[in-house]
Amino acid sequence: MSVTCELAAPFVANSAIDGREVTPLFRSHASTCLRCQARHVAMTKAARELAAMESQTNAAPADLEWRVMSSLEGDLAIPRSWRTPVAVTAALVSMAAALVIWRLRLKAS
Amino acid sequence: MGNQGDSSQVEAGRERELITRAQQGDRAAFAALVRQHQDEVYTLARRLVGDPHLASDVAQEALIRAWRALPKFRGDSRLSTWLYRVTVNTAWTHRERARRHRSASLDEYTQVPAPYGADHPEVAGEILELRGRLRAALDNLPESQRRVVVMKDIYGWSHADIAESMGITVTAAKVRLHRARARLARDLEESA
Repeated sequence: MSVTCELAAPFVANSAIDGREVTPLFRSHASTCLRCQARHVAMTKAARELAAMESQTNAAPADLEWRVMSSLEGDLAIPRSWRTPVAVTAALVSMAAALVIWRLRLKAS
Repeated sequence: MGNQGDSSQVEAGRERELITRAQQGDRAAFAALVRQHQDEVYTLARRLVGDPHLASDVAQEALIRAWRALPKFRGDSRLSTWLYRVTVNTAWTHRERARRHRSASLDEYTQVPAPYGADHPEVAGEILELRGRLRAALDNLPESQRRVVVMKDIYGWSHADIAESMGITVTAAKVRLHRARARLARDLEESA
């Protein structure tokens, strides 16, 4: 591969994927270089194939829905509007319990 | 044509209703949305992280995040577009774990629809071969490069959207895409 060809390669690939002409800097080289032309054709096909992938889906694992919904059990048990007050109350209760335990231990020692 | 338009409007209306109910905490409505979109979410996750088991974890976490963020969804974009963003962000947080996993092997990509030109065996064979090399080349890209190619060249995101989702400038997103495509081209040539 010539130096020009090597320099042109990324630009040829990018222009092919974008469906544009090769950048003017390498246009004259690409118009005479069989390798660059072959690369342009190959990457045009690749771009078409990439775009086609959007509509191709893999089936999600059979247990995905179950995993998601069971992970949400905790979330779902509490109505959304109660979440913040419940979280704050839980934090306060935990702190109070920790304080009581600490005081009891202090007394015991 | 008119019937198609009507049915898609009915579907969109039904989805909006499910979203509203799910936003109010309706579990069954959210489960229905999960069933509708889980294949798309999983497929995107798989393309972003490669490994099917990790993709399954990413899809699960993305859907859980979606549930938690659903009250903020205002319907400015389609739900699937919004879910794609959530999935991309989730995959990004799994990046480090993804690096420790091996990329999916080619064998795991055999369940794909027939290529266009399937009725012309010689063309179909060539396309299947290209498709296999393309998937291998995509898997071979570094995670950050693969991500821009997947978002731009498969899902058609704008440079600005890619930049925003990755927390980089538009110029940086363009440069990354340019490099990723160059590498993809090189890998494709080498595998030909």
